[in-house]
Amino acid sequence: MSDLWKEFLEKGKSEGCPVYDMHGHMGSYSRIYFPFGDFDPDIMKHRLDRTGIKMLVFCSHWTLFSPDIGNKANIVVVRKLPDRLRAYCGLNPNYPEIIEKDVEEFEKYRDVFVGFKLLADYHRKPISDDAYKPAWKYADKNGLIVLLHTWGSSPFNGPEQVRIVAERYPGAKILMGHSCHGEWDKTIKLIKDFPNVYAELCAVVDDRGGLEQIIDAVGSSQIVFGTDWPWFNHHYYIGAVLDSGISDEDAHNIFHRNAEKLLAALV
Amino acid sequence: MKLKFFDANVFIGRPHNGQFGSVSTSEQLVQEMDKQGISKAIVWHIFQYEGSIVEGNRMLTEEISKSERLYGCWTILPPQTQEIIKDDFFKKMKENKIVCVNAFPEWHRFVLDNVAFEHFLVELSERKIPLFLTMGRTCITWEGLYRLMKEFPLLTCVLCDIGIWGVDRYTWPLLEKFENFYLESSQLSLEEGGIEATVRRFGSERIVFGTGFPVQYQKAAILQLTHADISDRDKENIASKNLERILQKEQL
Ligand SMILES: [Zn+2]
Repeated sequence: MSDLWKEFLEKGKSEGCPVYDMHGHMGSYSRIYFPFGDFDPDIMKHRLDRTGIKMLVFCSHWTLFSPDIGNKANIVVVRKLPDRLRAYCGLNPNYPEIIEKDVEEFEKYRDVFVGFKLLADYHRKPISDDAYKPAWKYADKNGLIVLLHTWGSSPFNGPEQVRIVAERYPGAKILMGHSCHGEWDKTIKLIKDFPNVYAELCAVVDDRGGLEQIIDAVGSSQIVFGTDWPWFNHHYYIGAVLDSGISDEDAHNIFHRNAEKLLAALV
Repeated sequence: MKLKFFDANVFIGRPHNGQFGSVSTSEQLVQEMDKQGISKAIVWHIFQYEGSIVEGNRMLTEEISKSERLYGCWTILPPQTQEIIKDDFFKKMKENKIVCVNAFPEWHRFVLDNVAFEHFLVELSERKIPLFLTMGRTCITWEGLYRLMKEFPLLTCVLCDIGIWGVDRYTWPLLEKFENFYLESSQLSLEEGGIEATVRRFGSERIVFGTGFPVQYQKAAILQLTHADISDRDKENIASKNLERILQKEQL
């Protein structure tokens, strides 16, 4: 039995292995009931404490689904729990004027944002679309993190689209949210070809087999942990990663070391 | 705390399209359970779904006979064709350590309602033998499940693989209305706060532990339940006691 698993099973968390959740959301969403949909800083802190989550990096559902609300939904939340939360500035390509404004004002919210979040499958424009350009250029120049929603075979954010932006913006740190789900061979090829591209595990570890395949091919130095919180449970996902047969060293990379490196200059 | 786990959601056999980590024999399954500290399991064979129901049920029976820690779940079809349900069905179940049945009406092309199953499902309800259904395969629609429970309100029904996205809007009305309706835990554990919210609303008696092996990770379900924000008594109920109580009540 691995030492990390023993510690997590006994205490629910690990002293020496904090966990960074690099793919979260916040707030209610119409198509699902979330027991923890409403943000409350005390409840949030309690949930993160009991699972050993050191930091959650998120983008509010309200930002992603309402241009009328926009990124203020992220700003107010991070500033209520700044030790544990950071946000991605959410981009909606159907409103390029809002993207331009958000990029212009990015410096004002350095205490809140570590990068950008794109949800192209939902917004129906590819991640290489011109509307995103100001944000991509800004991320490229400043070494920001860009969390993409990615899915196998998608014309908006499938592996072919990831390849285009990874080539174009080598200074951006690109997290493939859901790791181009289902097209693991292409996920692996992207990680091999680009040092600035990372696999992210949300939805990957719902089933066995995907993580095993990725880690066998490319190791753990370009994989980060994420859960779509409040969709998925932290303990469930931590248990899944620890059940994939990886070494404790690999688990340390996935749970915190890679994220610490990515966030070092940004937090 | 250390919990005793009774897994309600496991299949044996290798699917025709492949499945990472699937096992063909009861020896292999018991080895996997030992690695995780799972003491008992209710098992079905994937061939019951994918291939022949008769032969799948037979293969399952043969495998579970090799371990006293494994109990079986046979797949049923409409009684009219007499492929599965014959006069001595319940007697055969008892003889072969089969403690429950499952059904895949949408995949096996029949309607699970009182036209086809009136006498059988009334008897199943009276005998308190659980019917296992799943939302994780082509099995039944939510509308079909609602209709079934309306027609057989006393049926003991365990819903497995309830959904990757939280499904409380579908399941809570069923839990509220039908006292013998249960949820298998693996994907309720996957939902952030799913176990806690459901226990708070309905008590811990309505959830039975499952891992979804070999599709899902066993440690995921184990870690979540072990550290869920509920009482130790609630955890013990879910981990094994509820399922044991269900099986104690049945009359075979
Ligand atoms: Zn997401």
